[in-house]
Amino acid sequence: MRYSFFKGCFLPVRLPHIEKVSVNVLGELGVELKETQGFSCCPEPVGFLSTDRLTGMAIAARNISLAEEEGLDILTLCNGCTYSLRHVNHTLKADEEAREKVNEVLSATDHQFRGTVDVKHFASVLMDDIGLHHITGKVEKPLEGLTVAGHTGCHIVSPPEIMAFDDPFDPQVLDKMVSVLGSEPADFDLKTLCCGWTLTNYGDKSGSDKLLGAKLEAMHRAGSDCISVICPQCFYQFDMGQLLASRRLGLEFSVPVLFYLQLLGLAMGYSLEDIGLKRHRTKSSGFEEKILEVLG
Amino acid sequence: MVILVNYDADDNLSVVEASEICLKCGVCCVVKGHSCHAQLDGQFDPKHTYVYDCLGMDSPSENPNIWLCVSCHKCEELCPYDVSPIRFIESMKAEAFENGRAHPVIFGEVANIVSTGFAFPLTTSSRRQRQQLGLEPLDESAAEDLMKIAEITGLSEKIAQYRGEER
Repeated sequence: MRYSFFKGCFLPVRLPHIEKVSVNVLGELGVELKETQGFSCCPEPVGFLSTDRLTGMAIAARNISLAEEEGLDILTLCNGCTYSLRHVNHTLKADEEAREKVNEVLSATDHQFRGTVDVKHFASVLMDDIGLHHITGKVEKPLEGLTVAGHTGCHIVSPPEIMAFDDPFDPQVLDKMVSVLGSEPADFDLKTLCCGWTLTNYGDKSGSDKLLGAKLEAMHRAGSDCISVICPQCFYQFDMGQLLASRRLGLEFSVPVLFYLQLLGLAMGYSLEDIGLKRHRTKSSGFEEKILEVLG
Repeated sequence: MVILVNYDADDNLSVVEASEICLKCGVCCVVKGHSCHAQLDGQFDPKHTYVYDCLGMDSPSENPNIWLCVSCHKCEELCPYDVSPIRFIESMKAEAFENGRAHPVIFGEVANIVSTGFAFPLTTSSRRQRQQLGLEPLDESAAEDLMKIAEITGLSEKIAQYRGEER
């Protein structure tokens, strides 16, 4: 399995330790990630794609065209990148007029969108291309006794006609991915509520704190030892965002977060140091003791 | 079923007309755990919901609350009348951006992407961390193409205007 590796910008700039463990884990699962030169921001869907649509579509189409020139489907590590690239790929494949308009803009760059490749989130690759049975075979240290709150996020599920990943109102895929590692998916309230990233950036901090506090309370009540996410922005919100919100809210507990590929790495035999846990901002000595006990 | 409507900032009429059938039922904002996250911002309640705040103003593109929308599509999927508030709000964002009224964070992000290829400032810390981890340096080669794209679409001119007004 060979893919053009679309890192996006959040992960390589702000969370490089997750980029590293992701590349290592996917490599061990037989995924070859080609370092395509020249990728830019996807562009970011909330701030760019919805405000200057023509420029946003041209930038996304340019990114897709780079993978087309290598004859490879794109693999992403981010819900937002997947949303932007899949939306534009879908629109330009279906709408000839829009495709001509975008290609006219792209003509100055020596690239053209042709509509020949697919864009896949790494979780779709794990589910559909690698298969859970193969992942089960790679689990050396089952995470038995660990309860994990899976937060799927918004942009990977909606609209389902384009994203084709999971049910927006009853997401199950991440729970299945958590289960194959031997850990227990937490059954918690407010499961489909957004992580609140945009409220933190563009809104009233008290609203963002309220949202994050309610979600963390629900996860904590359900006995979660940690959160698992498949999006870097959700990760940052549950890590740095939780640290800041809990100070303001006076929360008496913390729920550490792991990117799913970090959790998978632990089950494959990686150490806490290998997955870069020391770089995380929300700490919990209880979690670290428990995970060390689980890993033996 | 979701109906996707292609539009741009010059074609707001169909989106505006669709918004006029909103019955203010509030389903998009008050279904606990499944609805719009912006409803939790503190200034809204079940009688004056976030979505109604966006749809109900006389000059909706001047409403700063449009920038709270995360484009999660939950309002669209929950609406019993196929209003698709997200289409309306995104259209108003485009109109606001076109007229130089983007949220400053959005403007900064757009300008950053066009000039560097990245949505976030590239810091010494990021470069050092990548080096420590043995990762490849950041690929900054896209910027030249992105600036060409922005010239053709007129975005470069908008950015220059915004910067002039800021000064």
